[in-house]
Amino acid sequence: MNHEELRDQYDLYAIGLADEDAGAEIRAHLSRGCEECMLQMKHARELSALLSATPDAAAPSPKLRRRILASVGFEQRRFGWAPWLGLATALSLFGAFYFSMREHQVAENMLVLREQMRRQSIELTRMNEAFSILSGPETVVVGFGQGPKGKVYIDRTRGVLLIASNLPPAPAGKLYEMWTIPKGGKPVAAGLFQSESGGTAMHIQPGAVNPNLATVAVTLEDAGGALAPTSTPIIAASLQ
Amino acid sequence: MMLLPLILAIHAGPADAELVARLQRRDPQALGELYDRYGRIAFSLILRVVRDAGIAEDLVQETFLRVWNRVQGFDAEKGAIGPWLLAVARNRAIDYLRSASGRERNAMEFEESDHPALYTDMEHDLLTSDRARRVKAAMQKLSPNYRQVVELVYLQGLSQTEMAERLGQPLGTVKTWVRAALKNLRDDMGVVVTA
Repeated sequence: MNHEELRDQYDLYAIGLADEDAGAEIRAHLSRGCEECMLQMKHARELSALLSATPDAAAPSPKLRRRILASVGFEQRRFGWAPWLGLATALSLFGAFYFSMREHQVAENMLVLREQMRRQSIELTRMNEAFSILSGPETVVVGFGQGPKGKVYIDRTRGVLLIASNLPPAPAGKLYEMWTIPKGGKPVAAGLFQSESGGTAMHIQPGAVNPNLATVAVTLEDAGGALAPTSTPIIAASLQ
Repeated sequence: MMLLPLILAIHAGPADAELVARLQRRDPQALGELYDRYGRIAFSLILRVVRDAGIAEDLVQETFLRVWNRVQGFDAEKGAIGPWLLAVARNRAIDYLRSASGRERNAMEFEESDHPALYTDMEHDLLTSDRARRVKAAMQKLSPNYRQVVELVYLQGLSQTEMAERLGQPLGTVKTWVRAALKNLRDDMGVVVTA
């Protein structure tokens, strides 16, 4: 084949699509250094390169560059999200710790408040009971003196109220215990109590009172209480 | 938008020689710079052929690896690395297309792109030259049949016989269209092809 006959084949040969006979002919020309074929092949390769640049632009994933570099053993240092993730983790841990402490503190405050409310509720109940006894139309009042002084209020249906002063706080391990003693009967325990630091005390034994009640007494007993008085009464208020 | 690939390759030129030298010294940063210059244009070309972005990315990776492995045979003083890289990219894509469709691989195609020395005496700024813009304009001027056969040849790697089957046209007609299309392209670009 001459060059005119090969003319249409150079472009196809450059991309490997020339006819078999023409391809063999071009190879033969090139192998013997044919200048015309070398020139035509240069033009053909240039056209191929130019046509390769004709498709519309498209963008690959940003990760592709990193993939390619990694495939030749070059790992790029990536900062990306790492610092933000680290910061977010640190903030999360700090937040968890802070709110955990806050929650613990709030829980403790709640316990204190609940205890205060419980005590106030008990005190209010006591005050209501004391008031009901004090204001009862049938309430009997008996005074006592000599050392601790005060009065005992007895309402047969509501209970016994003792209000005392000059009563020193009971020693460690000891408490005051009130007794209701019926006429001709044994003392009946009516509750333990402690005096305030100023020497005052108020104690209530709510509920129905024995109609034969003759004396209300107070003794100093062990903190666990006693089934019967074990010491000489400090207070003794006699109804008769 | 049509000219974006060329604009992206704006840095091609004499600096390619220094880049090739660094690639030959196995400087991975140079591979990163090569990707920055030709990554998008290679991706655009391969995507146009295979029509699947995931596959295109895999083939772009293969392309740059192949260039990295064969760059020792490239003489940067005599040729431009861009056209060689695009030839490798195009052939990677067409090889994939041929494998996927059960067509035979073309040995000559590989010989062309695997030998960087064949790209000597090519302009360094070929891809950014005015000729690159003119070839795009010339493609637009081709009649639909002519443009179709050029695309089937260059972007799908179909032989003339395969094109005849694909288009349902006699082989002679297809050869005539190819011959005429290439002549029109060259005439439009002002390239003188001596016989």
